[in-house]
Amino acid sequence: MGMENVIELRGVSKALKAFTIDNMNLQIKQGYVTGFIGANGAGKSTTMKLIMNLLQPDKGKVSVFGLDYANHEKTIKDRIGFVYDSNIFYESLNLKDISRIVAPAYKHWDDKQFKFYVKQFELPLNKAIKKFSKGMQMKASIAIALSHDAELIIMDEPTAGLDPTSRRELLDIFQEVMVDGKRTILFSTHITSDLERIADYIVLIDEGQILFDKPVYELQEQYAIVKGSTELLDADTEAYFIKIERSPNGFQALTKDVAKVKEVFGEHAVIEEASLEEIMFYMKGADHPYD
Amino acid sequence: MINLIRRDLIIQKFQLYVFIPCILFFIFFGSHLSAFFIFVFAGFFIPINAYSYDEKAETNILLNSLPYTRTQIIASRYIGAIFYMTVSIGIAVLLFYVFNRPFTWADIAIGVGITLTMFAFAFPLFYLLKPGHIGTAVTIGFILLVILMGPVITFFEEYLTPAVNFLSSVSTSLLYLSSVGVITVLYAASWLISQVIYQRKAF
Repeated sequence: MGMENVIELRGVSKALKAFTIDNMNLQIKQGYVTGFIGANGAGKSTTMKLIMNLLQPDKGKVSVFGLDYANHEKTIKDRIGFVYDSNIFYESLNLKDISRIVAPAYKHWDDKQFKFYVKQFELPLNKAIKKFSKGMQMKASIAIALSHDAELIIMDEPTAGLDPTSRRELLDIFQEVMVDGKRTILFSTHITSDLERIADYIVLIDEGQILFDKPVYELQEQYAIVKGSTELLDADTEAYFIKIERSPNGFQALTKDVAKVKEVFGEHAVIEEASLEEIMFYMKGADHPYD
Repeated sequence: MINLIRRDLIIQKFQLYVFIPCILFFIFFGSHLSAFFIFVFAGFFIPINAYSYDEKAETNILLNSLPYTRTQIIASRYIGAIFYMTVSIGIAVLLFYVFNRPFTWADIAIGVGITLTMFAFAFPLFYLLKPGHIGTAVTIGFILLVILMGPVITFFEEYLTPAVNFLSSVSTSLLYLSSVGVITVLYAASWLISQVIYQRKAF
């Protein structure tokens, strides 16, 4: 297939005051939407910052488009569109002035494209950014990220703090943007339901460690929630589960081997599709996370 | 790089409208102030103001996410400061000329020298301080300035005006050259220090 990685982290370590990333390896595939999930404080933003070179690793290598930041910082960033969870634009300026500051930084800034998104998102050009609602600020950021022909769009919690309606609207926009299939999108969120519609790959991070990096279809095929009587559990059967929760009424557990569980338990257990949220929940503090 | 420098103009649209009235105010009501003092104010105004916008963490995230290197961001600050200082002092000189207030070349030279020296000390300090602390630093600086203003002005009047006269009377090219040399070294050292500090900064 010759699948190319747009982003590669190899053996990356970074010690921060409250938080450490140790020997992280991560590959983001070109042409796909990768959802980056984890609880608040799991290390999503730190990883995003390492990818954007806002933070530099203590150890290891970060490469984007196969290039390193030490020698190709401008080339790399010219090809990235970014959206952060809070407004980073001069808040006293209006969108027109902000585009005047941002546009000349990019080789391929397309003013027509920008105007198109401004119109589509119904953004005012002459109103100070600080008077924008949170949803409008996000849309402004997305309009800019999409107006310079970026091959890679990096979004750190773009739906954070938005009401459900705005979130839905944004997700629709992302979906539209991804239709042409050329772009790669890395999208971090702690609201996993955002990703169920749009992601091709899911990367789960917890306490600075990548717990898995898998295609969505594989998650859907292999992972499941299993419910049944605790009598079904013994040393052998417990091994099929990533994490087991017991209650007086029985157990509920996450497996990554549905086929095996079906074979062993047959009709004795209830097997349900696992949502990303459930997978995230069970993987956190899992008994055997890395099997 | 030019884009980074041009950015200061876009950000400071409003302050630019205030700039000329401020200088005029000094020209008309600051007759007790030496001309070089007004030139210092003029030269300092825009670059420091620009800096106050850039101290925010968000702005640094923006600049560093755009296709610029950290080296360029610092360079634009130092080159931009010289550029805006030159233009501002130029405008101030023009206003002096138009409104018939006397000044000498030595006033301009001393004004430029003091302004650059202040930049040389202020910029690395600002890059060193955490965002949000610069406001405090500026406030403390301002209070100190107000307290010291009286003695400083008397000092200027007693010693510096004669010194200015002395400089302009005996101005040998050597004297000027050595000041230019010292200030250039200061500015370059400051640039280098800011560069090192900024290179290591995490956003």
